[in-house]
Parts: sequence; structure tokens; C-alpha cells
Amino acid sequence: MRRDAPSRGGRGDVPFGAAPRDASLLGAVARIALVAVACVVFSHDARAEAPFRLGPVPDAPPARVVTLAPSLTEIVLDLGAGRLLAGVSRYDDAAQVASLPRVGGYLDPAPEAILALRPDLLLVEPSPGNRAVVERLAALGVPVLVLPLKNVADTLVSIRAVAEALGRADDGAAAAARIERALSRLRSCAGGNAPRTLVVYGWQPLVAAGPGSFADELLTLVGAVNAAAGLAGPYPTLSVEAVLVSEPAFVLDASGGHGGSRPLEPLAGRVRRLRTSAFFRPGPRLVEAAEELCAILHPADGRKER
Amino acid sequence: MTLPASTETATLARRFSPARLAAIVALLAAIALAVFAAAAALGAERISFGAALLDAGSLDARILFGLRMPRLVLGAIAGAALSAAGAAYQGLLRNPLADPFVLGVSGGAALGGTLALVAGSLLGGSALQGGALVTTAAFAGAVVATLLAFAAGTVGGRLDPTRTLLAGVVFNSFAAAMITILKVAVSPEKAQELLFWLTGSLGYESGSTLLLAGIAVLIAMAVLSRQAHALNLMVLGDDAAAALGVEVQRTRLVVFFAASLAVAVAVSLTGMVAFVGLIVPHLMRLAFGPDQRLLVPASALGGAAFLVAADLGARLLFVPLGTELPAGAITAIAGGPFFLLLMRRRSM
Repeated sequence: MRRDAPSRGGRGDVPFGAAPRDASLLGAVARIALVAVACVVFSHDARAEAPFRLGPVPDAPPARVVTLAPSLTEIVLDLGAGRLLAGVSRYDDAAQVASLPRVGGYLDPAPEAILALRPDLLLVEPSPGNRAVVERLAALGVPVLVLPLKNVADTLVSIRAVAEALGRADDGAAAAARIERALSRLRSCAGGNAPRTLVVYGWQPLVAAGPGSFADELLTLVGAVNAAAGLAGPYPTLSVEAVLVSEPAFVLDASGGHGGSRPLEPLAGRVRRLRTSAFFRPGPRLVEAAEELCAILHPADGRKER
Repeated sequence: MTLPASTETATLARRFSPARLAAIVALLAAIALAVFAAAAALGAERISFGAALLDAGSLDARILFGLRMPRLVLGAIAGAALSAAGAAYQGLLRNPLADPFVLGVSGGAALGGTLALVAGSLLGGSALQGGALVTTAAFAGAVVATLLAFAAGTVGGRLDPTRTLLAGVVFNSFAAAMITILKVAVSPEKAQELLFWLTGSLGYESGSTLLLAGIAVLIAMAVLSRQAHALNLMVLGDDAAAALGVEVQRTRLVVFFAASLAVAVAVSLTGMVAFVGLIVPHLMRLAFGPDQRLLVPASALGGAAFLVAADLGARLLFVPLGTELPAGAITAIAGGPFFLLLMRRRSM
């Protein structure tokens, strides 16, 4: 088994991201000019990124794993490796890790707490907020595995990569295959009428799942049409009027009650609140998210075959 | 508005002398060292200096030298830069409200950094685009804002303080609006991260970055110290200063750019750490009088101590939650009331 396999995606030896360290001022100015263009022409590119390693690559499978995101914790638990966990993020809510030390969040990991746990594997979902801390920890000798979790393909690749790093490649392949089977069973479960659906993350401002988002991918998978599919970017801010005009059959409220505002009155009859946190957990629970979509969008029979 | 302490407080006891400068610098250096020692000793984990010094591979050493020291050094550099620049701006523009942020320098840096962050998410398609790019873009933004404020404030070859300040205020509003617009283009997580960066927080920079930043800030401070006497005379008014042999326009230009260099370095590495550049120079003026030759070094040392102390608070306060607060939040929360209290007691 090749323990360093995840790094072969080509990014393995780039220190946490592709920005050159010695970027010149002129280069920066040129990039800023490029952004002006990019702001208009949004990239919809949802290509899967390969997981990659930072810091030392240990010879033996790890015995003390620290995770910086609930999805990653759930991947480890799903692989039956929960007893290896030594610390988790402060957003983790799985019962099995309730007693474990917390090491900060997605944007604000607590470096001293992580180092003090002496992890021999740190699982990270990349964010600009944790980049500096994670790079520093890797430089201080903590083995790091960085796992992009932007879409279903990313997630399946990451599950295999985590399993491989834990020395359980077979379990990873089995878990990924199980998820793929479950998803293909749920494919097109929304029925033939392809209901127009809007997934709302926040009501004020009105932020919805756009093209390239995780929710958009799940909507397409279950056979619904994302009412925000024509918009720019994965998390566009919509005008209320545009939402009313687009006449979604379902409005799925994934705001979790955050934002302090209530769903828009004219849409009230179509709003369904998403009950689970699975929508925000690109890991084994993405099946749960797809099942919940099926139950809402096709409540009559929830048929398994099309 | 005039500088508060320019007349009555300039009593005999407050007159400048090399001995007085040395005494004040020694006092502030001792305070700063005590704060640095506390910041190195305290944190989320308990460490032993002995173990850290004896065994370079120990957990204690990695926490002390890998995590706490780089942050401490960054805090000291940024705090010194912002405070010394604040003292210079206040003297230069003869306005007690002048600070690095009012002049638009910080707004420019924030806009530059934001553009780079947005570029990272849009061009790379990846959330992990580098900090070096953000830092460089923030620096470029600060330089551009400085040039704009200077150009807008220069009328007929003379720098008009009020116009310069107004140009800075306007540019800050413009930058804030641009950032709001750019936020729409990024994901909620990205927007949250942006907010964190804008609040001002101390991260982990490489040794070479810290060295470079330290050298740049030292050069800026050396320039400001050299111009301190000229700035003192300029409080009397441009014509009086010119009569005393001060090259008024040249002094303004040099001080403006030296201070802006220091601010650009600080903001590009730490984001918008509020209040340090406003409060510390005023504290020093209340304590030691308005002489710029004292104010610049005193503000630098005081600012370094103040920001490192604030970051220590930011690291310690939220340990139970397993997270950290941006240092900028602490400087504003702790600095504001303290400053008001002091101002009342001194009835300035």
C-alpha cells in the first residue's frame, strides 16, 4: 500500500495552496486586475481536488487522530476507527466524540491545544482561516492530511484517502462503494415532474445554494431542478423578487434558524425546514441528506426505483 | 481642534532632554519586556521554559518557539508600527483624530487583501489560496490609498491636513462599500473568514517575513525620529516653522510616506487592528507631553506592549471554548473605556 498516494494529485509538494511565496508586487497587481474580470465571469468549475499531505509522512498507521471538521470526524467514525480520535472540532456533535477535547473550529483552530494532544495525524478541510495554523503545525512535525470536501466526488475520494492513511484502505473502498450504491438507489427519487426547488442558507440576506454547491449536486441527483441553477456562484445572494418570479415548488430552509429572520411570507406555504445537519456534512451522512430530500420532494411513496 | 497638550502641559518638567528620553525609553522597555515575558509564558497549554530551552524537540519548545514567539514578534512589530505612525500622523496633520485608519491606508490594505481573497476563491477554485498573496495585495492597497490621500490633499504644491483627512475618510467608506460588494461574490464561509481578517488578528508568519517586516518598520521609525524635531516646530504653523529653517513640504512628504510604510506592513500582516494607532500615542502624550522626539519612540514601545498584551488576552479569554478571539476586538474593547477614563482624570 502506498501511504503517500493521496499526495500524487500534483499538489502534494506545494505548501498548502498554490500561491507562490515570493509573489512580487507586480504579480499581485496583475492578479488583482485579473480578479476584476473574474468577478464578472464566475467560474463554475467544481472539479474534484485531490487530497494532499503536509508535514512528515509517518511509517506506521496513526494512533492519535485529530480532526478539524465534523465531516472528517464522521468519516473516521464510519470507518470504525473512532477509538483513534484524540480531539475534534468544536462543532462536532456526534455522541461518540462528546467527551473528546475540542481544538477550535473550521476557521479558528487552536494550535496549542492541537499540538498538546500530540496527534500523529491531523485531518483538515482546507479554509483560508486555518491555512496559517495548519502550515505551522505541519512545520512543527504534525503529519497533516488535507481533504477537500466540496462535492460528492471530493467526498468519496477523501473517504478513501482517510481510510488509506489510517491503514484501512479496504474499509474505505467499501464505505465509498456503499455510499455510491445508496446514492444510485436514491437517484431520481423526486419523481418524473422534476420539482423546482430552492435551498436557502439564510433569509436576510437571501442566500441560496447555487450551481457548484453540494446541495445543488444532491438536488440534481434526486431528480429535482435547482431554482437557483441559472445564478452565479455556489452561494449567490438572491433578490426576493427573483425568487418569487422563479416560482419554486419547494423552498428548503437550511438556515437552521440562524439570521434571526423568518422565511418570506409569500413563500411560507412552500417552505420545508431541513431537520438534519447532514446537508452541511460532506461525508458518510450525505446519504442521509439525499434521503431527506427524497422524503420532502416525493413524500407520497418515496419509491426506491424510478 | 488643536493638540491638547501643546501649551499648558509643556512645563519645565516635561522639557526634552536626552536623559529624560533615556529614562522614558528604559521605563517603557521594561514594561514591554514584562508583557513579552507574560505572553511567552501564558497560553492555552502550560509550558516549562526549562524544558523548552533544554530540548528543542519537546512539546514545550515547539509551543514556545513555533507558536508563541512568532506571534509575539508579529504583535510587537505591528503594535510599534501602528502607534509610531499614529503619533507621527497626529503631529503632521495637527489633528488628534488622525490615526492610521482615518487616513484610508487601512481601508486600502483591506480592499487589496479582500481582492486577493476573492481572487483566491474565484481563480483558483480552491479555498486555500495563499497568505503571501493576501499580504502582498494588502500592502499594494495601502500604498495606493496613501498616494490617493496625498494627491487629494495636495493643493498648489502644499499638503492640506484637512483635505488629506477628508480624502482618507472618503476612501475608507469607498473601500468598505467595495468590500461589501465583493463579499457577495464569495461563499458565506469565505465572508466569515474575511470578517475575521478585517477585525485584525495575529497569525503565524515565517521568520523571513517577520525579519523583513521588522526591518521595514525600523527604517520607518528611524526616519520618523529624524524628522521629530521638524514636526515639533511645525506645530507652530507652516510659516513659523519655515522661518525657523524647516523645509515644510519635504518634511510632510517624508513623514507621510515613512508612517504609511509602517502602517502598510502592519495592516498587511495583521488586518485591521483597531485603536492601537489612536490610543497609544494619546496615552503617551498624556503621560510624557507632546514632544515628538519622545512621542515616536515612546509610542513604538507602548504600542508593542499594548498589542502583545491584547493578543495575550485574545488567546486566553476563550480557552474554555477552544478558540481565540481576534486581537483587534480586544484592543477596541479594552482600549476604549480605559482611554475615556484616563482622559477624564487628566481633564484634557
